[in-house]
Amino acid sequence: MNWERLRNVDRRIIFLAMGLGILIPLLFPVELPVGAQRITTRLFETVDAIDGQKQCLMISSDYTPQTEAENHPMTIALLRHGFTRRIPVLLNALYVEGAPLLADAIDQVMGEFNARATSREDSVIYGRDVVYLGWQPPPIVPILAMGESIAGIYVEDYYGNRTDSLEVMQHIHTYDEVGIVVAITGLAAPLWYVQLAQTKYGVAVGAACTAVCAPDFYPYCATGQISGMMAGMKGAAEYEEMVDEQFALGGRRKATEGMVAQSAAHLVIMAFVILGNISYFASRRKKT
Amino acid sequence: MREKIPLALLIILGLIGLTDRFMPHPGPEALNQYLRDTLLRIISAFALILGLGNLIVRHFNRIKRKEEHWPHSYVLLGSFVLASIIGLFGGVSGELWFPTSIGGFQFDITTIYNKILIPLGASMFSLLAFYMASAAYRSFRARNWLAALLLISAFIVMLGQVPLGAYISPVIPEISQWIMEVPNTAAKRGIELGIILGMLATLLKILTGIERSWLGSGR
Repeated sequence: MNWERLRNVDRRIIFLAMGLGILIPLLFPVELPVGAQRITTRLFETVDAIDGQKQCLMISSDYTPQTEAENHPMTIALLRHGFTRRIPVLLNALYVEGAPLLADAIDQVMGEFNARATSREDSVIYGRDVVYLGWQPPPIVPILAMGESIAGIYVEDYYGNRTDSLEVMQHIHTYDEVGIVVAITGLAAPLWYVQLAQTKYGVAVGAACTAVCAPDFYPYCATGQISGMMAGMKGAAEYEEMVDEQFALGGRRKATEGMVAQSAAHLVIMAFVILGNISYFASRRKKT
Repeated sequence: MREKIPLALLIILGLIGLTDRFMPHPGPEALNQYLRDTLLRIISAFALILGLGNLIVRHFNRIKRKEEHWPHSYVLLGSFVLASIIGLFGGVSGELWFPTSIGGFQFDITTIYNKILIPLGASMFSLLAFYMASAAYRSFRARNWLAALLLISAFIVMLGQVPLGAYISPVIPEISQWIMEVPNTAAKRGIELGIILGMLATLLKILTGIERSWLGSGR
């Protein structure tokens, strides 16, 4: 066998195999049990334990369209969880590029809940159940200033309403009324919240991040500075499944849908690594 | 003077930033709050202008000198000017006076964001998977026992991070989690501690004026 040729296989063949590996499971989906990691369960339990009468869930995002596939299902799952448990949800964007994505997520999940609602009590109402605070630069300013006054730093919300005039903001003033800040990120937002807001104001912090960022946050999970984490699309799928199992909401679960394609992609990479190593050892033996 | 004024500013502002953390007194707190909420934002706005100015000058120069891939700079500058005009005079959703639709064809900022920026961004990021597969095939070799260990760990974590791992064996996700929670945490903690100690040392050197290379003095 020509091992050298195998070692130098055209990369277009690798790209084609990878493309097919991702595309076929998306076109012909099968369900695989997702399971749950400890860190995801910890995040779910922390959010679930928030007393909606006294505290809110804060979703802080710094993700951009580049990581939308991984991060957006996390936002959707957290919103579903908050709305089902009747926990007020506050959202803010740390980068302007991702700000419209949060508005899109709110519209989608509010639409899902309001389509099922039979009364005003059942409905999700903007200002009463959810507030999108918008974007304030640079990130260090809102992260620290929210410890002094949320409505003070976000004078107007994303839609131009005066924040202090909104119903839910009458009892949410600072981090004292925030059960947990879940920072959804493709960068390092959870660490900013730990280093700046938690050390000064003691707010609980959760992480929801791309898989590539996750290793950075494990030391903080070990110490409890980060209460729990959704790590990558797998973490998002686990959270989606936990929300669905507990509350039977239905609706599309995009991270769970993507799990088979991701499994196939990992398999393709592993198969090529194995093939590369076989050709490497075979050609080395031939040389000696 | 060119060195002394920036250095004095840095020392004063740096010490104010530090006192807020160690002295919970209303005076330093109020001063720090003012610096953070007002001054920092003004500086950030200047940084944005500086960044944009640099970007434009850099790409004009690329075109002038006909550097490698210089036609791409036309695309960047053209998109920049077009998006700026649409955004500034057409508003976010086409609510201002500049026309942002021709017949059924819309080109307001929201449409540009949803129909161009999101797909382009997602495409750029998804290309990583293809390049990673190609790079792993060519360079991920078990040349020695350390490399073999890395390879095995990578396989376990890759399988543990997808449902397929649990489907093959429930032990795989457990080992994967252990790798992330124990060896990874230990290594990351060591690296983080090293970085933070280095940052502290650099901070002290800058605050005390020992390190002045940031002033362009070469010291």
